[in-house]
Order: sequence, then structure tokens, then C-alpha cells
Amino acid sequence: MNRVWLALTSVVFLLLLAASPWAVALRAFGGKGVLVTLWGTLDLYGRAKALPDVSWLGYFTAFWVALALAAAVAALLPEARMRARLFYAIGLAGLAVFALEAYLFYHAVWAANDAALAAGARRPPLKRYSLSLGAYASFLYSLFLLAVGRLQLPGGRALLVRWRGVIVPAVSMLLAMVAGAVVVWVLKDVKMPEGSGALAYLTAKLDLVTYTFQLLFGPLLTASGWFQSLLIATPLIFTGLAVALGFKAGLFNIGAPGQLTIGAIMTMLVGVHLANAHWFAGLPDGVARAIFLPLSILAAAAGGALWGAIPGWLKARFGAHEVINTIMMNYIAASIFLFMIASNEYTFFGRWTLHMPFKFPGYEARSYEVAESARIPLMVNLFGFQQDASGAWTGALSWALPLALVAMVVVYVLTARLELGKRLLAALGAGVVGYFVGGFLPGIPMELSPKLASVRLNGAFIIAAFAVAFYNYYMWRTRDGYELRAVGLAPKAAEYGGVSIARKTILAMAISGALAGLAATHYVLGGGIDEYRLKQSLPTNVGFDGIAVALLGQNTPIGVFLSALLFGVLLTGGLQLDLQLGISRELVMMLQALIVLFIAAGGFLPRYFTDPILAAEAEEGVQGVI
Amino acid sequence: MGLESILTAAFLVPLLQTTLRSTTTLLLTALGGMFSERSGVVNIALEGMIIFGALTAAVSAQLLEAPYLAENPGARIWWIPWVAVLLAMVVGAFIGWIHAVVSIKYKADQIISGTAINLLAAGLPSLVLAYFYDNTTASKELVNRLPEWLGFSPLVYLAFALVPITWYVMFKTPWGLRLRSVGEHPEAADTMGINVFRTRYTAVILSGVLAGLAGAFLSIGVLNQFVRNMSAGQGFIALAALIFGKWHPIGVLGATLLFGFAKALAIQLGGGDIMPPTVIEAFPFIITMLVLAGFVGTSRPPKAIGKPYEK
Repeated sequence: MNRVWLALTSVVFLLLLAASPWAVALRAFGGKGVLVTLWGTLDLYGRAKALPDVSWLGYFTAFWVALALAAAVAALLPEARMRARLFYAIGLAGLAVFALEAYLFYHAVWAANDAALAAGARRPPLKRYSLSLGAYASFLYSLFLLAVGRLQLPGGRALLVRWRGVIVPAVSMLLAMVAGAVVVWVLKDVKMPEGSGALAYLTAKLDLVTYTFQLLFGPLLTASGWFQSLLIATPLIFTGLAVALGFKAGLFNIGAPGQLTIGAIMTMLVGVHLANAHWFAGLPDGVARAIFLPLSILAAAAGGALWGAIPGWLKARFGAHEVINTIMMNYIAASIFLFMIASNEYTFFGRWTLHMPFKFPGYEARSYEVAESARIPLMVNLFGFQQDASGAWTGALSWALPLALVAMVVVYVLTARLELGKRLLAALGAGVVGYFVGGFLPGIPMELSPKLASVRLNGAFIIAAFAVAFYNYYMWRTRDGYELRAVGLAPKAAEYGGVSIARKTILAMAISGALAGLAATHYVLGGGIDEYRLKQSLPTNVGFDGIAVALLGQNTPIGVFLSALLFGVLLTGGLQLDLQLGISRELVMMLQALIVLFIAAGGFLPRYFTDPILAAEAEEGVQGVI
Repeated sequence: MGLESILTAAFLVPLLQTTLRSTTTLLLTALGGMFSERSGVVNIALEGMIIFGALTAAVSAQLLEAPYLAENPGARIWWIPWVAVLLAMVVGAFIGWIHAVVSIKYKADQIISGTAINLLAAGLPSLVLAYFYDNTTASKELVNRLPEWLGFSPLVYLAFALVPITWYVMFKTPWGLRLRSVGEHPEAADTMGINVFRTRYTAVILSGVLAGLAGAFLSIGVLNQFVRNMSAGQGFIALAALIFGKWHPIGVLGATLLFGFAKALAIQLGGGDIMPPTVIEAFPFIITMLVLAGFVGTSRPPKAIGKPYEK
């Protein structure tokens, strides 16, 4: 980090400010917008009836140029403390002005809409308006200047290096987004009105790229978007944890797709064929549920654990590398999966015929339905809502789950003096009490919007949350977890310390597989693929997505959770991307792949961000001055 | 079809032909992977390189022939498939270069870097296909495939001819010796004045070229279009064949012939009622695992494999 970087960033910022759309006054379906730029309005939509009054934009442009110049001056000051103060001051000024600009813009849009409504328009003429790349750039530039200010002071670089767990994934993510932007730029053309120049074309392209990412992150702005994102994130949390646990133990588990598949088959066997077996027919509903729901969930974990333990054993016993073996087992699992649900009758050697009871009659390859007693309820059911005869989702928002959560956290915090195991037990007990007390309290009556209720987010998300807690507890609070991490960090030292590497390898692969297998509960027991069945469309690829989730989350519990949520958001936004711009959702897959590649390369940052020894030196070093 | 029908010429001749064809992809890829791994860089990205090669060959051949076909449907232009093959090799080299930069210059975990390329190969082709053909699963069928000489694609002959050539290059030339020394003991090689980085770059790019060639064989030699995920794990099987073949051209030839035969058998038995196709499709993968578990003797990898070199 030095003056060259500062100058480069400033120039890029000013160029972006000049060329990109600063805001979008109106966005039609399909992506065409009315772009507000510093040099005027560019109407790609062609039918805008009203425009916001943004005549003030010119003054602010002058301000941003002055800001960039001030930054250049600040960089030339001789004394570090002075430099830092000036950078802080102009960074804060930038943020304040950005906020003012945003306020003025939205105000102008509302004023234009009100005027049109007063003049007799039936609906507001400006809709889906937002700030755009130019405004975002000024916000980010202000933040950048604040960061540069911190870097002037002693220990600035050490601070950056200490936060490398966040910085490396964030930089990789940013680079991946830039690469994604280039791909969109190349692959997607914009239609320009007659006679527009090169600058307008550039602006339109920049708008396309910005809109792409606005769509991808769009689900963050709506409640149903969040619900949908959590739905997609649920299996990613499981597979992300599976891969992360492997990494922590020094193993690369690419076998999550296969482990998920076998988990799905096992849970199907228990949830469909055991729970529906005729000798359990007389059980009362509650008892059947108490038996078969946990049993089906365990079956999913067991199936995954088995499929993970085999390559673990092969590695421990024969030294066969787990990467190729897990990949091979993915293909084998896919074969078993098809074998079980594609047909019920197979002939071997033209002589012997095998009959199986798993495939549901009909053309589609799918299993029978999971028994009622083994289904995981939808989240809306858990919150106390039911669908009535007219199809509306009504009910009272139950206090059971929120109260259980609060009770658990409060008791966990209050019992800080107790031993960890007792603490966890106490918290769990408090959670159960909270759940029942909350269940008896009168809830808040309300009706859910059909859009929100149509999202099939189910209780598997709660299992996923527990899996995150388990991962944290197991890896960082138990002896087994400590030994696993020791094997991952330094196998020889761990072995010298008395840890059996062979046993730990099998154990790690089994737990990792179990976590991946649990993702099947979401799909089969929770109806994540629209039906409570095992279907051919089981999206086993989420196993590979888990690699990106684990790497982006740096194998930490909270990181895995957040990056799974991030990919959930992006994949949800990807649907809109397809719908509005006709860009395939595979763009998100490409982003994932690039994130993995860039994180592997340490975000192309200096070596002291990735190498632990160099990082330790950099953290201690005092010459953190740029 | 009963058991007795297996032992007829009508079954055995196509079986032999299919074996040679399915071996070709594996052999080209595995020989390429051998350069990379012998130089000390794990190349799990072979799978992705095949896919990119296949995509490039199919799309470029289709785009090149389109103007000619507009004039004369069914026009055969001899150079089009060869240019497409060349482009596939160039793209393979480019992907290899990416893997090399990330894992040699930036010292990334080579397996993660390779996995990233494989993930990229799973996502990017759909975007490219959507751009050219408004379709995310397959490219347009093309007319100008690779020719066949005496019933086989020229690339089949090339693959088998490459076995002795690779052997000669690897074990009888100074460059081969340097390559192997870099993979065994890079510090020693460096002391002797060998440029470790350049040798590794060359080797990884070379493996990309050969994997791209294998991909071109799949899309315009065997088929006449690119189909999503068309390599279906062959890159990984090639890697296993490399281990099974003890990183030696002759061993690799034997291993790929075995895997190719397993695959051909699966294809030939597919239609009948000898075995359900889903079971047969799993054969090559099960055999790979058995082989890797060392039921057929141990194999020793290059000593410095997977370790980034620090100067």
C-alpha cells in the first residue's frame, strides 16, 4: 500500500464517477432504465413521463473532484499523524456528503412522483429507482480514504494483517465480482437509442453490470427474499460445514455430493418405508412423530457418515488420497441413487430378476412420499400459521421459537461460571421451557403474504443452526476437536503427541460426511424440492458449492453461516437475473468458482496475508506506515 | 441378449473399437497430467481442461463452418476441424497457465486451485452456450467433425503414438531429466541451475494442451457437438490412471486401456439385460478405487508433488 495505489484508486474513482450512471430514476421490467448521470439524463427506456430534478448534481461533482485532490495533498504531508487526521476528515466529509446526496435524490424522486399524481396520473411514474454505480463508488471511495487514514498510523498494517481472515475473502469476493462484471460486459449486449455516442454506450454497459449485481443482491431488500435466501442457504450450511471440518482436519472432502445422496437414500428408507410399515400403523400420531422424525434425521447423518468414512478408511489404511476417492464415490453414489429410484425391476445376465419396492409408479424417477410422521414442518407452521380453506395463511405469530432462543442465550450467558457441558445442558433445558411457555402465550394474530408463505423454508434450517453450534462446540471446545485440528495443522507433531492419525482421519471424514448427509433432511424430509420425496432432481451440486462456502467462510462457524447466506442471496437473486436480463443463473456458479480460485491465491495480496509466519512478523512489526 | 451372445464377433469387434476410443481421451489427458505431476504440480484440473477444450473445439468449429454452410449445406471444409483442435489446445494451455500462476506464483494449495478450475468448467460453459445458442446444455450440432482414417479419428493414432514419444522425452532427453529432477528435489535442481518455475510452468501448460486436445476429441471426434459435463469424470479417472500407472508412460498406457475397456464394456452392455446400465456405469469408478487402494502394488509419487517451491 503506497502512494501509487492511492493515486490509482482516485483516478479510477473519478473515471467511474464521470462515466457511470449515478442513479437510476426509473427501471422497467427487463432492465431498461432512465439513467441519471453527471452529464445529463440517458433515457434507455424511451417512455419516461417524469424526471426527478437533479440540477444540484453538478455542485457535488465539483465536491468529489476537490475531495480527490485533497486526498492527493494529504498523501504529500510530511508527518504521519497529520496525514492520518486529514484522511479521516476528508473520508468523513465524503460519507456525510454521500448521505446528503442520497437524501436529495430520493426526495427529488418522491417530489416528481407526487407532482405527477397531483396532475392526475393513476400510478407514480417513477418506480424501482435507486442509486447506482457512481454513487456507490463515492461511498466506497470515502471508506477507502478512512482506511488509508488508519494505515498512516503505527500498527496500521499489523491491523490489516490481523483482520486477514476477513480481508482475504473480501478481496477475493471483490475480484470475483469484477471478473463476473467483465463476463457480463462481454456476453450481454445493450440496445442503444439511435445516434448515441460512445460515452452513452459506456454508461449503458456500466449500468448493465451494476444492475446485474443489484439484482443478485436484491433479495436482501424484501422479507420473502430473505426467506428464500435462507431456504437456499440451508443445505449450503450443511455442506459448507462438512467441507470446513475436513479442511480443519487437513482433509479435502470433495465427496459432499455423494454423502448427501446416500444420506438422502437412507432417510428415504426410514422416512418412507420404515415409518409407513404396517406394524407401526397403530401408533398415535405424536408417538410416531417422536420416533420417526429423529430416526429419519439420524438416518441421513448415518448414511453420509458411512459414505465419508469409507474414503477416510481407505486413506488411513492404504494411503489412498481422499480427493480422488471421494470424487469416485460421488459417481458411485449417483449410480446407486438412480438404481434405486429409476426402476423397480432389474434383470441380471438375462436370467435373474431383482424386484425392489422403492420407485413410485409413473414416468418420473422418484420415491414414495415420506410419511406424515417423519416430515419436518415448514417454518411458517413452526411460527404458528396454518393455511385455511381459502388458501390464505392466517394464525398468530407464536412466541415459542423466539422465546426458546432468548431463554437459551440468556441462560448460556448467565451460567458462565459453570462447566461447559453443564452450561450447554442448562441452556438446552431453558430453551425447551421457553418453547413450551411461549407456545401457551397468546400470539400476535396476522396474515402472511402469499409470496412469503409460498417459500418452503422448513425446520431443517433449525437443524442447520444447531449444526453450526455443534461445529463450533466440537472443534473448539472438545478434546476430539482439538486433536482433529492438531492433525490438520501439524500431523507429525500431533502423532508425536499421542494422536492416532489413522483414527482421526476416519473420524473426521465420518463427521464431515454426516454433516453433508444432513443436508438431505432439507430436501427429503423438509420438502425442499417441492415434494416430500426423493426425486431425480436432487441438487447434489450443493456439495461442490460447500467448497466455496467453506473457503469464503475461512472454515469458521460464523463465517460458514454467513457465506452460505451470501450464496443463498446470490442464487435467489440469480432467478431474477435470468428473468429480467436473460443472464443464466450459472453466473453465480462462476462467481463461486472464481472466489475459490482467488482465495486459493490469497486474494493476490502480499504474502504476509497468507503465510502464517510472515503474518506474525507483520503483526509485530511497527513500520506499518505506507 | 443372453450370456452366449457376448462371445460373438458382433459384440467383440465394436467392443474393441469402443475400447480404443474411450482409451484415447484418458490416454491424452493422463500423458499430459504426467508432465504436470512429474514436475511437482498436482493437476486435478484435468477434468475442467477437458471440458474447456471440448467447448472451444465445438463452438469454434461451428462458428467457422457457419458461413460456408449458409452457401452450401453439408459443405466439408478439411481445415475447420483442425483449426478447432488447435484452438482447443490454445484454450487448454491458457487454463493450464491459470492453474500454474495460482499454484506456482501465488503458492496456492494446488488441489484447491484445480478444484476451482473444475468448478469454473461446470459454470462458464453454460454462459458461453447461452450467448451463442440461447441454450445452456448443448452446442449446435456441426458438420465438419474430425475425419476418420481407417475407422478411427487421427487423434486416436496420435494418442497411442504419444506413448513412446513421451517416454523418450521424459527419460531420454535432458529436458525430461530436468523436469523429473524439479519434481523430485526442486532445491537440488535449482542449485544445478535449472529454472524450477519455468520448468513447472511449461509442464503445467503442456498438460493443459493435451487435456484440451482430449476435449476436442470428445466434442468433434466422438460426437459432433458440446454437451454439458460431457467429460463425466474422465479427467479424474485419467488422474487415477496416472497414479495406477506409476507416473510412467507405459504404465499409464496399461492403466488407461483397463479403464477404457471398463467403459467400453459398460457402453456395449448398456442395451442388453446382462446388467442394469446404472450398475455398469459405476464399474470404472469402483475399479479406480480398488486400484488406488493399492490392491495392485504400491506406487510412489514424485517426491515434491503438491508442494509450492520457495526460492
